[in-house]
Amino acid sequence: MSKDPRQLFPRGSGQRYGLMELVKGTSPMVGKGPEDTVMSWPHLLIMEVLAILGTTVLLLFWSLAINAPLREFANPDVTENPAKAAWYFMQLQEILLHMHPALAGVIIPVVMVIVLMALPYIDRSREDIGIWFASKKGRKIALFSTVYTTIWLIGLILFDEYIRVRSLIQEPEIWPGWLIPLAVIFGLSALLYFLLRRWRPTTREMLIGFFTAFVVTYILLTIVGLFFRGLGMHLTLPWNLPPGALTF
Amino acid sequence: MPSNRSITRIITQNRVWQSIFRQGYPDTDENQSKAITNSWFLHIHPVRVKTHTLKISYTWGLGVISFYLLVVLLVTGIWLMFYYAPSVERAYTDIQNLETSVTFGMLMRNMHRWAAHLMVLTVFLHMCRVFWTGGHKHPREFNWVVGVMLWLLTLLLSYTGYLLPWDQLAYWAVTVGTNMIGTTPLIGEQSRLILVGALETGPEALVRFYALHIFALFLPMIILVGVHFWRIRKDGGLSSPLASTDEPPEGGVK
Ligand code: HEM
Repeated sequence: MSKDPRQLFPRGSGQRYGLMELVKGTSPMVGKGPEDTVMSWPHLLIMEVLAILGTTVLLLFWSLAINAPLREFANPDVTENPAKAAWYFMQLQEILLHMHPALAGVIIPVVMVIVLMALPYIDRSREDIGIWFASKKGRKIALFSTVYTTIWLIGLILFDEYIRVRSLIQEPEIWPGWLIPLAVIFGLSALLYFLLRRWRPTTREMLIGFFTAFVVTYILLTIVGLFFRGLGMHLTLPWNLPPGALTF
Repeated sequence: MPSNRSITRIITQNRVWQSIFRQGYPDTDENQSKAITNSWFLHIHPVRVKTHTLKISYTWGLGVISFYLLVVLLVTGIWLMFYYAPSVERAYTDIQNLETSVTFGMLMRNMHRWAAHLMVLTVFLHMCRVFWTGGHKHPREFNWVVGVMLWLLTLLLSYTGYLLPWDQLAYWAVTVGTNMIGTTPLIGEQSRLILVGALETGPEALVRFYALHIFALFLPMIILVGVHFWRIRKDGGLSSPLASTDEPPEGGVK
C-alpha cells in the first residue's frame, strides 16, 4: 500500500490541471455551438462599461441639479402632518389605512416575501426560460392582470375614502380590521384566478398573472401613498399636497 | 516625439506592468480569455458568454447597474463617515456643515442619497425582469431566494440611512416605521424596543441605526452579493431559451 508519494505526484511532470469539483449531469455549455457565444472581452465588458458610465452621468447631473432634503432639527413634540414613511414604504403605509396594523405592517409583508421566495419551487417547468412573459398568452395575461388590478385598486381606495368600510361596520374591530380586508384580498385573488383560467394557462402563465398583480399593486399603492395622500393621509391631488408630503 | 506605438511599448514593455498584466493586448482570442482569467476583478465573468444574454432588452443591465450603485454608495458613504458622528448633538449640524463648509460635501451627500433611491428602484425592476423572463426557475431557484434577501437588505439599508440626518423627515419616517413593527403580534413591542433602544425614537435609536447602516446590514449585503454572483456562474451563466442553449432536462444526460 505504502507507495512512494513522489511517484504519485512526480515533480515537474508538467501537469497543468487539477480536480476542481464533481458535478452531476452535463456542463451548461454542452450542446452549444461556439456560434451562440462571444468573447466576454470585449463584448460583455463594453456593455458593462457603458451601463456604468450612463449611470454615473445620470447620477452626477441629478446630484448637481437637486439637493438632498434637510428639514428642521428633529422634534418629538412637533408631529409632521402627514407623517409619512420613506417613499419606498408608502405601499405599506397605504394598506395600513385600510386594515389592522399587524395585518398591514407585518403579516402581509412577511407572507409576500415567503411566497416570492417560493415561486421557483412552485413552477418547475423549464421550456419558457429566457422568454419575456413566457409566451404570447403570457403577455396577454400580464396585460389583463395589470388592467384588472389597477381598476380594482382605484375602486377600493376611492370606496374606503368616500364611503368608508368603518362607517358601514365599526364594531367589533375584527370586521373592519381583519375579516373584510382578508375577504377582499382572497376574493379578488380567486376572481383573478377564475378569469385567467379562460386562457387555459400553464402554471407559469398563471404565476405571471399573479406576480404582475403583485407588482402593479406594489407600484400603484406607492404612487397613491406618496403623491395622493395629504393632510391626515386623506386623498388629495398631487398639486394640492401640503408642503413636506413628498418623502424622498 | 515618440509615436503612439512606442508610448504603448514604454508603458507595457517593462517588469512592473507585466507583473500585473500577464497577457498582451487583448486583441486575440487567447489574450482576450487571459485578460478575463488572469484578473481577480474580471475572473467573475466567464471567458465566453451567450449572445442572447447580451441583448439590452433581455437584462436592461439592471443587475450591473444595481451593483455599480452599491459601489458608489460604499465610496460616498465612507467619505460621509469622515464628517459625521451619530449623536443627537452632532448629527444634524454635521450634515449642515457638510452642505455649507466641506468641499464637495453637498455633492457627495446628494450622490449618496440619490444613488440609494435609484438602487431601491433598479433592484426592484431587476427582480421583475428576472421573474418575467423566467430567470428564477431551475437551476436558479436558490439565487432567486438570495435575490429576495438582497432586495430586503437594500430596503433596510435605505431605511436605516434615512434616520441619520436627524431632521424632522428622518425622525417621523422612522417613528412611523418602528411603530408599525411594534404592532406585530406577540413579539412586536420587544422588536421595536430592540431596534429603537428606548421607549421613544431618540439618541439610542440613532446609534443603533448607524451601526446597522454601516456594518450590521452592509456586511451581509456584501457577502450575499458575492454569493449571488458566484451562483450565476455555477448555475451556468445567465438564463436563455432552452432551444438555443440546449440545456438538458433536469439530471438528464444528453
Ligand atoms: C443588490 C441587489 C442585486 C444585485 C447587485 C444583483 C446583481 C445581479 C447581476 C449583475 C445579475 C446578472 C444579470 C443581470 O444583470 O440581470 C443578476 C442576475 C440575477 N439576479 Fe440579481 N442582483 C440583485 C438583486 C436581485 C434580486 C432582488 C433578485 C430576485 C428577487 C435577483 C435575482 C437574480 C437572478 C435569479 C439572476 C439570474 C437571472 C438569469 O439568469 O436570467 N437579484 N443579479
